[in-house]
Amino acid sequence: MARWGLSKTTVEDAAREAGLSRATVYRYFPGGRDELVDAVVSWQYLQFFGRLYEEVHGATSLEEVLERGLLFARRQLLEHEVLQKMVQTEPEVLMPKLTVESNRTIGLISGFLVPYLHEHGVPDGLEVHEAADFLARMILSYIASPGRWDLSDPEEVRRLVRVELLPGVVGKAQIVDR
Amino acid sequence: MGSARLKLVRDETHDPAAAFASVPHGDPSPQRVRLADAAVQCITRQGIAKTTLDDVARAARCSRATVYRVFPGGKDGLISAVVDTEVARFFSALALRMGAASDLEDVLVTGITEAARRITEHRALSFVLDNEPEVILPHLTFSHMDTILAVSSTFTAPFLGRFLDHDEAQRVAEWAARIVVSHLSCPADGVDLTDDARVRRLVRTFMLPGDSPDTRDTGPIRGRAPVTTHSGGVERMAPSPPSTRTRKGEAS
Repeated sequence: MARWGLSKTTVEDAAREAGLSRATVYRYFPGGRDELVDAVVSWQYLQFFGRLYEEVHGATSLEEVLERGLLFARRQLLEHEVLQKMVQTEPEVLMPKLTVESNRTIGLISGFLVPYLHEHGVPDGLEVHEAADFLARMILSYIASPGRWDLSDPEEVRRLVRVELLPGVVGKAQIVDR
Repeated sequence: MGSARLKLVRDETHDPAAAFASVPHGDPSPQRVRLADAAVQCITRQGIAKTTLDDVARAARCSRATVYRVFPGGKDGLISAVVDTEVARFFSALALRMGAASDLEDVLVTGITEAARRITEHRALSFVLDNEPEVILPHLTFSHMDTILAVSSTFTAPFLGRFLDHDEAQRVAEWAARIVVSHLSCPADGVDLTDDARVRRLVRTFMLPGDSPDTRDTGPIRGRAPVTTHSGGVERMAPSPPSTRTRKGEAS
């Protein structure tokens, strides 16, 4: 797919590349090319978030999780060659697949943040899952489209986290200078 | 994976001003708008792919030759005209509602709910999203979404500028645009962006607490009294901005 893109890659190409027979590919992916392509997108997606998870795993505070996660995810996204190629050449094939995945991602990011939010505590009247859902969808939005923010600059990411992400979920008195 | 360095998506367009300038501001002649409206009717019934210039001519009760005269480029030009017309209407409607709001919270709540209503109730857009998602979705992610964020925040910032500094207004406007796109493309349980009370809670909980003394140096949201005069170009679209209306108790 990195070579030919998503639409032009055939089951034969994948079989040849893997040194397997066409029949073997069909045994694992009875749905053929479409199923194989969907599996690749899902797999790449999970790998991406797996690496993100490893990157932020050792963080000791919610603030650090958010900062490290945003910096790392944006860098990974820009360096992901297959994704970048498809965004340029086949957005109409890729985007519907990514949109399906993004529902799942909001759930994944949100689930990851819940323990941090529990530990930190959220303001009265706010549910932990509500705070987690807000953070997850905003994070995904910044990673995909930074808009006015430069996510390669750690200082700017720190400001973004402190101004747009944390105040609502931890209560404003909780954000102290480090 | 190939080893060649590929062009980064981010390099395409990132300057918000350039992004805004890149939005087509097509000729809004009555005939163009009439044909765009006819095209919207066709798209609502059969989507973009199946809509032909003949269908549009029939719906507009004009000849095929007329359609080609107005849109020499054919269908692509017609679809651009549809987008221009609908986007202009969308922002005009937002301007009307946001211009009438009386404080920062109201501007945000009104802007978000009105945007969500207009988008979810747009029948042609719904048809395309349900049946031809590949036409719309590429415009809602990555650098294309950056353009949408730039356009929406440039447009809505003047309304927030009655209560916030310029930079803050831009930032908060972009925040609101992210909320709208995120919730409409991936709805959360129990969050209906057309519900005033629900959106008010969202704005109050997550947006307004940015006013923290501890983040002062990093640019919190500080509400201030509305300014009494403003000459922003976009804001003139709102027929009765609150600052020029009679205050309560000053009835003539």
